[in-house]
Amino acid sequence: MRVSDLKISISGIRGIVGESLTPQLLIKFAEAFSTYIGGGKIAVGSDTRPSAAMVKNAVFAGLLSCGASPLDLGILPIPSLQIYTKEKNLDGAISITASHNPVEWNALKLIRKGGHYLYPYEAEELLDVYYQGRFQRVAKPEMIEIERDPFSIHKEKIRRLIDTELIGQKKIRVVVDPCGGAASPFVQDFLEGLGAEVFCVNCTLTKGFPRNPEPVPENLSTLCEAVKEHKADAGFAQDADADRLAAVDEKGVPVGEEYTLALAVDYYLQKKEKSPVVVNLSTSKIMEDVARKAGVELFRSRVGEINVARMMEEKSAKIGGEGNGGIMVADVHTCRDSFAGMAFLLEYLALSGKKLSELRKELPDYFMIKHKVRASFREARLILNKIGQKFQQGDIQVLDGLRVDYPDFWLHVRPSNTEPVVRIQVEADSEELAQKVFKKIMEEI
Amino acid sequence: MYIKIGMKDRLRINVSGIRGEVPGALNVEVVAKFTSAFVSTLKKGMVAVCRDSRKTSPMLEMAVLSSVIAGGADCACFRLLPTPFLQFLMGREKFSGGIAITGGHNPFSWNAVILLDTEGDYLDISEGAEVFNIYEAGDFTKASWNELGQTQMMTFPMDFYLEELSRIVDADRIRQRGYKVVADPCNGATSSYLKDFGDFFNCVVVPINDNPGKPFPHPPEPSIENASQVEAVVRSTGADLGFLLNSDGSRISFVNEKGLALSEEMTLPLSLLSLKGRIIKAVTSTVTTSWADWAARRAGIALSRTKVGQSSVVHVMESERADAGGEGSGSLCFLAFSLGYDSLLTLALILDYMSREEKSLSGLTNPFPERHMRKIKIEVPPERTYRVMDRLEETYSRENPDFTDGIRVERKGAWFNIRPSATEFALRITIEGEKEADVESIEDELKGRMRI
Repeated sequence: MRVSDLKISISGIRGIVGESLTPQLLIKFAEAFSTYIGGGKIAVGSDTRPSAAMVKNAVFAGLLSCGASPLDLGILPIPSLQIYTKEKNLDGAISITASHNPVEWNALKLIRKGGHYLYPYEAEELLDVYYQGRFQRVAKPEMIEIERDPFSIHKEKIRRLIDTELIGQKKIRVVVDPCGGAASPFVQDFLEGLGAEVFCVNCTLTKGFPRNPEPVPENLSTLCEAVKEHKADAGFAQDADADRLAAVDEKGVPVGEEYTLALAVDYYLQKKEKSPVVVNLSTSKIMEDVARKAGVELFRSRVGEINVARMMEEKSAKIGGEGNGGIMVADVHTCRDSFAGMAFLLEYLALSGKKLSELRKELPDYFMIKHKVRASFREARLILNKIGQKFQQGDIQVLDGLRVDYPDFWLHVRPSNTEPVVRIQVEADSEELAQKVFKKIMEEI
Repeated sequence: MYIKIGMKDRLRINVSGIRGEVPGALNVEVVAKFTSAFVSTLKKGMVAVCRDSRKTSPMLEMAVLSSVIAGGADCACFRLLPTPFLQFLMGREKFSGGIAITGGHNPFSWNAVILLDTEGDYLDISEGAEVFNIYEAGDFTKASWNELGQTQMMTFPMDFYLEELSRIVDADRIRQRGYKVVADPCNGATSSYLKDFGDFFNCVVVPINDNPGKPFPHPPEPSIENASQVEAVVRSTGADLGFLLNSDGSRISFVNEKGLALSEEMTLPLSLLSLKGRIIKAVTSTVTTSWADWAARRAGIALSRTKVGQSSVVHVMESERADAGGEGSGSLCFLAFSLGYDSLLTLALILDYMSREEKSLSGLTNPFPERHMRKIKIEVPPERTYRVMDRLEETYSRENPDFTDGIRVERKGAWFNIRPSATEFALRITIEGEKEADVESIEDELKGRMRI
């Protein structure tokens, strides 16, 4: 089976520079976006990938062609772009980032009015416009405007929520690893502004990313070493577009993304505000414990930031996120925001006076297995049916793929909407049980 | 009178590039594809890019920049710059190719992407064909993420340009005269360079329509019809001359000290007279006025004729080792200076001529013999051109026509030429005669034959 490296989906357009991702496609996609949302002020930000200039010029050409007034925000983390779009009441935004994908990739992520990703049905309509290729082109294009300091809005929104004096008094030391990505130009200054003493590793992008941009434990060895070397209280790893966060404890041990989210949510519920919590269907069951402890309701949405964000608004949840390290704080903006996550964890350390490893130990231990297998979209449906039959005793949900809950474990099997793969997740009270369930699933594939 | 056809969705494609109305046939996607095709034909290196002042030019520039660097070439971006300036620089510095985004003399709603080779020369037919072969096949060179080109923002070295210009003309003599000139750059790319030109040659420049941020005040074609503003300002300021430019500064026509506009056809003959004694060979097109022959004879220059257009004229200049060339549209190229039609070079030559002869502009044009010319444009879609031209060819076959470009018929005291336009969907008719009546009778005859 031949699989294209070009991914045009409701998540945007993604491909490999020099192969599938050409100026022509990017122009068309930007034209489709401007046509679909009816032009207006559209901000454009990028991460630090070397292909950003090529992509950005194409995006500007496409936006201008269909009557938009583009606003060039330069390098900017995606949450900052979302917040900027919301606060400045812009008509939309495009983020040029392939987030955790390797450096040869790039992508466009489309942001609507209000600073959220396009709703799934909107994204589908946009694709229809794109494929039809009949765009609302104008005779008199607008001019491109440049904004010099677009990060400050984001920074200020977080600072207002945080006791920076306390963090300063407690002399909290942190090491941050932005992976040479979009956070690099801002994150040191940001953390210092919160009162912390900051060391930065992987702060520039030279010939590609200094590490694999996904902030999973196996990619964080440099950060872990640096935490020990600087005797820091914590380490923070971001991905290339700075929406995801993973923490490392004072011993240089990765806390894991699920626990990073859980710690931030736990702290928020204890010290900031008791509010319903929304996480996605793939997020760890630690969240149930955290919510129960605080006596608040927990809701689970379909996977995808926009789904979590919409449910947070629906349920008036002030806090939530996705288990891959995407912390969402409504007081800042209902988007995955590594900066907000870092701020709360810093304050948590300062206020509790405890070590990060101790705070982690206060949360129960679960074992999670994440795996993906190649399967065509048709095969994926068959796999889901078979697994569903095998786990009939459990509590079955089909909101997004197949999720089955048992008292001591749960599983979530979900076809990707961008790639011909099925994602499998199992979480159990013990490693042994997790392995057993996982094996049972794999037998069906 | 004209045959009206919806031309909005048609792209004019030929050796000089692609041209069309925006939005319509010409759009950012087509430009990106075309640029990618062009860059695929080039050796790695730096591509020079400039644009005119049209509202759509910065947008098309974005598509060009993206495609150049995506093809792995670096990009020297000059932004708003006259095309001849880019060609001037390309003749002196190392570039792998050039792209000018300019509709030249076309209306404001049009635009074009013009391709230049490593020397700043227009592409010839086979080079152009190669670009279109790649364009059609869609088989573009794509650089991987770590081999993408870089964009460098450039500033044009105007001092250097003027210094080089002063090697062709007697700058000191021009300075001594302290000419006053009225300039109408049509809000085009040359607007911001006029002051430097004036300062260098000690000319008082009175500019009108010199805001590139504004639309064109009149069609960007230097001609008598578009000269009324300049005529008025020359009269009211007592200037020595006035001039009009097209949007990218490749064409120029003059207004004399009495405030009377000269035909753009006079630009080339005046330039040849200015170059008297310095050059021996020149090239023009088959539809240029017979004043050019007259002036060439007086200046002792051998003048040959070729197809219409900068590409053909300059390529013939190069192959025949001619020193200069130009066309009746108000354009002149001086090979030792650059490979482009350059309006400010032409202006300098005319000032040089005036100062040398110590005459006013009207004094210089007084000896010109009586000639009457009529240029008629008839909109005809390309698929009908063939039949119309075929019928005319049959009609005039007895008169021993010349087929250098379309059909040219010589009669006693008059000539006419009919040819398909390379830049618009139209047939262009040029009639010239010694008597107005001759021109009129030929016009009636042609209109009758073409049933318009």
